[in-house]
Amino acid sequence: MIQKAKKLLLNPWFQLVLSVLFVTTSEVFLKRGAVEAPRLPDEVNWTGVSGLASPDVWYGILFVIASFISWLYVLRFIPLTIAFPLSNFVHVLVPLASWFFLNELISVQRWCGIAFVLLGVLIVAKPVARMEEKL
Amino acid sequence: MTPVSALLIFVALILFVLAQLFLKHAMEDDLRSARFKKNFAIGLLTMTVSFFITLGLLQHFDLSYLYPFQGLSVVIISLLAAAILREKLTTRLFFGAALISAGVVLVSLS
Repeated sequence: MIQKAKKLLLNPWFQLVLSVLFVTTSEVFLKRGAVEAPRLPDEVNWTGVSGLASPDVWYGILFVIASFISWLYVLRFIPLTIAFPLSNFVHVLVPLASWFFLNELISVQRWCGIAFVLLGVLIVAKPVARMEEKL
Repeated sequence: MTPVSALLIFVALILFVLAQLFLKHAMEDDLRSARFKKNFAIGLLTMTVSFFITLGLLQHFDLSYLYPFQGLSVVIISLLAAAILREKLTTRLFFGAALISAGVVLVSLS
């Protein structure tokens, strides 16, 4: 049982799924925390620093770090030109999570926009990943 | 969306892309080298600034409204590669960039 769990955790494809889930979870926590936190007057509020008063923002930061660790592990085994296109599944997961967990109302127009972005990103993901490797 | 928030969205995005590039270079270096420290420090700083701008934006906008803008990061990377590495911008890249931009416009008007 423990052996099986260990094998799964060391599987780079499983880590790729985890990192996408971690990114989505972090975004949901950050959004929640940002809204809960007391707002400063608008003139100084653009930094969102007041969000640090909310525990949800800190959970969000933990998930950001977790997603980084998973992603770095993924890149040791899977080339960026393959991992990056797959990671763009977040563009579907984040709006779904916004709708499900945050009760955001997503209009048909917004879904269309999201679909366009996803399609565009999938078309260029491979050549862009190749460019990023050289940058 | 006001011009100020549009500007903040783009600044956060550009800083996020730069942070990724600096952190990537840091990871390729020896952890004790001066170059690692420099790249890591710049990466961490730009990442932090980008994080707090995004947190501020999340206080005003839906997550499903802000997140699609992340798609523009691939456009920024292609432009950087074209400017710095003289990489050719292919028809495929233009087509993808056009789709992403159209999508972002649709979302920003929703």
